[in-house]
Amino acid sequence: MKMVYADTLGLSMKKFIELLSVLLLTSTWSACVVAALQSEEEELALVYGDKSFVTIASGSRQPIARAPSVASVITSEDIAAIGAAELDEVLEIVPGLHVSHSPIGYNPIYTIRGIHTQYNPQVLMLVNGIPITGVFVGDRSQIWAGFPVANIARIEVIRGPGSALYGADAFSGVINIITKTSTDIDGTQFGLRAGSFNRRDGWVQYGGGFGGFNAAAYLQAGHTDGQREIISADAQSTLDFIAGTSASLAPGPVNLGYDAIDGRIDLSRDKWRLRAGYQRRSNAKTGAGVASALDPVGKNFGERINTDLTYQDANFAPDLDFTAQASYFYITEQSDLVLFPPGSLGPFPLNTIPFPEGVIGNPYKWERHLRFNLSAIYTHWQNHKLRFGTGTQDDDLYRAKETNNYSTGSPGPLIDVTPFLLPHNRRVNYIYAQDEWAFTKDWYLTAGVRHDHYSDFGDTTNPRLALVWETAYNLTSKVLYGRAFRPPSFSELYNAPNPVLTGNVNLKPETNESVELAFAWQATSTLQANLNLFRYQMRDILRPDSGAVVQNAGRQHGEGFETELVWDARNDLRLSGNYAYQQSTDEATNQDPGNAPRHHVYARADWRLMPRWTLDTQLNYVAGRKRAQGDTRPDISDYHTIDLTLRNQERSGEWGFSFKVLNLFNADAREPSPYGTPFVPIPNDLPLAPREWRAELRYLL
Amino acid sequence: MAKIPTAVPLRHVSACHGNGRTATQLLRFFLSLCMALAVSSAAWATGEGGIAVLYPDIGEPYRGIFDEIIEGIEETAGDRIDKHPLVPGSDVGALNESLLREKTKVVIALGRLGMKTALSLKSEMGVVVGGVLTVPENEARGQPVISLSPDPALLFSRMKVLKPATKRVFVVYDPAYSDWIIKFAKEAASAQGLELVEYEAKDLRNAVRHYQEIFSATDSSKDVLWLPQDYSTVEESTVLPLVLQESWNRDIAVFSSNSAHVRRGVLFSLYPDNTGLGKSLAKLAMGYLRSGYYETRGMLPLHDVHSAVNLRTAKHLRLKPSRLQDFDTTFSGQ
Repeated sequence: MKMVYADTLGLSMKKFIELLSVLLLTSTWSACVVAALQSEEEELALVYGDKSFVTIASGSRQPIARAPSVASVITSEDIAAIGAAELDEVLEIVPGLHVSHSPIGYNPIYTIRGIHTQYNPQVLMLVNGIPITGVFVGDRSQIWAGFPVANIARIEVIRGPGSALYGADAFSGVINIITKTSTDIDGTQFGLRAGSFNRRDGWVQYGGGFGGFNAAAYLQAGHTDGQREIISADAQSTLDFIAGTSASLAPGPVNLGYDAIDGRIDLSRDKWRLRAGYQRRSNAKTGAGVASALDPVGKNFGERINTDLTYQDANFAPDLDFTAQASYFYITEQSDLVLFPPGSLGPFPLNTIPFPEGVIGNPYKWERHLRFNLSAIYTHWQNHKLRFGTGTQDDDLYRAKETNNYSTGSPGPLIDVTPFLLPHNRRVNYIYAQDEWAFTKDWYLTAGVRHDHYSDFGDTTNPRLALVWETAYNLTSKVLYGRAFRPPSFSELYNAPNPVLTGNVNLKPETNESVELAFAWQATSTLQANLNLFRYQMRDILRPDSGAVVQNAGRQHGEGFETELVWDARNDLRLSGNYAYQQSTDEATNQDPGNAPRHHVYARADWRLMPRWTLDTQLNYVAGRKRAQGDTRPDISDYHTIDLTLRNQERSGEWGFSFKVLNLFNADAREPSPYGTPFVPIPNDLPLAPREWRAELRYLL
Repeated sequence: MAKIPTAVPLRHVSACHGNGRTATQLLRFFLSLCMALAVSSAAWATGEGGIAVLYPDIGEPYRGIFDEIIEGIEETAGDRIDKHPLVPGSDVGALNESLLREKTKVVIALGRLGMKTALSLKSEMGVVVGGVLTVPENEARGQPVISLSPDPALLFSRMKVLKPATKRVFVVYDPAYSDWIIKFAKEAASAQGLELVEYEAKDLRNAVRHYQEIFSATDSSKDVLWLPQDYSTVEESTVLPLVLQESWNRDIAVFSSNSAHVRRGVLFSLYPDNTGLGKSLAKLAMGYLRSGYYETRGMLPLHDVHSAVNLRTAKHLRLKPSRLQDFDTTFSGQ
């Protein structure tokens, strides 16, 4: 069953009926479970409270950070409840965040509050507080192929600018992935997963003592062939039409297979912590093609290695919490691509000879990043909490090479060529300070500023202000202001002249300023509601001009709101959801900049069917995606998907089991393909996976 | 009764084989591990008796609480314990026979179901009860019962650390639930130089009336309010919001014996250290094993506790941050 709905606002009756049928089905099961132990649970609830506190009380105890920002925290329990295998499945539940995809490898585009770009450098992703950003295009690697969640303790997502604390790229949002420590794992866990598209994953993780250290170790290996939905026409289809060739592989399936290895180690003792991570992606396919022409042969190899040594002393001196951290991040991307298929003339207007093996390009690059920073929190004065820090980092694209068979514009041998982007280096020094001032009863003003000096473009200073009013015992109100910057990537600065993108060394960062109003209301003992209203203004947007030379050329503004509800309807039933609305305007055209959903609805029901068994239902509704300026295609169709997860929770010495169906009703869900001139390379957008199942076995020693 | 650690791994080993078509090296290793676990679990299950633990086979999230209590028991009593998960309607006769076969001398009964089952056994075995809140006096009289209710002495001393000027502790309680703990509270208050001002309320209406009286009479500089674990006087949807609202407006510090209240806005709470509770229960049981009689009987308040504080409320009350350092769990509020 395929369904496409084109309504732009709200859910249709049919969608409600579908959802209702799922809810009824699960509630019937629930009703069949005799609540014989209810009085026992009621008594325990008087002691321990609800489920969320029990989780805290019986797991690791750690403070929940106070953040004067609009933040969402997703715990490992949430991740397990929705049966997620990959980070992107989890992030879709965050209000105001929608995970779209690029044609290149179907890499994720984290669209936050209407800011949607192909390489998505406007979102800062951190692992344990340390950026995993590359300098090539400012993203998190072109060879992404997923981020498994088995070793994630929690994910903190901050919407809105955060450069005053986090520096570069904390522009539309920050995603901080906190990995599991020895306490979080506490024992040995094994897991196996199998699913549609020949998906196979296996992992093991350990948490406990090792040689006098608190030690956590994790290793996962995985493979998938990837979904095989059909791209009906691609860039080569149009080239064929123009040149009279018939090389295109479209209609043909997207190519999304990969092999993955992920490993992490976390050793801590006293005030010291040493962490290391390794992510390897091999045989990673090309999605809808790096040149938007289907490429079933091309494959990518990528590695990301990170390590950090952290010293933290909460009582370094009276009232002084001090942290020193050194970190190293290595990233390589090695692609062997058939940019256009055999028989193509390529995108070379003067070429009349078909490429017998296709247009081949093999770009390789290597980056290393060194960081050192010091930070401190000083709490001597009762009404002030001071936070300050300084640091330095060295971003080094230290090697790049490329071979191709098209350097002359017609078929030739595969030879070494000078890459478009040669090695470059960037040095960044920064300093920041912030004070949280309790200036009168129940009112707190947080003021912070960070200054960054970049060796290439110069200086940038970014402030933030947060006024928090504890309005009532169950209501908090906040007004937030922040400014963020996104430095030009090396590609934008230094790319050699070429028809796709030419660098410009005179660029300055693009900036984003936003004002937010946020309310958090504990309406009743079982109902929590949040409302955030925002307005943002982007300036000096980095984008290519008509000659493909990057310029600080654009401005964009937007406004919208996010609302969230969490309702513990019964002791065994939690209903939660959010609705996000945004409307953005490209000031050059006074039109919607395109591609980002104006409406995003997420709803979830968690039933505890019987002891240890839970059934989770998720609805994800994405709507109101306009086309970019000049793109005459009809607006992108809305879609909704429903996922079901049945989970049997493991406990020590016993098995746990999960079964998940994604896109239960087999909706035809698509993400926007980029607009291009003189033609749209993939006119019918990027199809997402059809109905898909996964089964998971876990064992806890 | 079949023990879960024996039955469950075996059942899942066969499920594990069902997925064997991947035939990777990892899976072979994993299957080997499954078999090893099943064998070791079976060996463990036949261990010598002495102490048996009866506990409700309850679902999460509360299941984990009993797991941790049992972990504490095992840490103290070693491998001499036999575990018996219970469901409502469990065959008490068969359990009795099983306990006799295991030569059980003392039963640690967890939860209300564990306790009821233990007290209905016909054998001459000692019983130590834990994991319950309160037990009618006639049922508690015969053996020790460690309640899940934190010792008022610990609550009061924690309150005094946070706010040294505290002089009076107000409490509204239903004698049906909290009479026994109020007796401990009176002693603790007296020992710590505090005045316990208690109000009896057998229903919601009286509880609300008493809270209104308290809020009209309290002085925030020296008075605090204690919320006991009490169905009648600390009703969640009406009384608690009223108490939280008024205490916020009048700057009255409120502490609770229910840890979930901390997130709602109560200043602090103490909640069970489950593993520690298990160790205390095991010590009582081992004492009975050694001597054949109970060292103590009746309801005992909980001494094995963790602490949780609401930093938002602490800020509102302008408490010194240095006094908030040693809490196990902190909530920042909204």
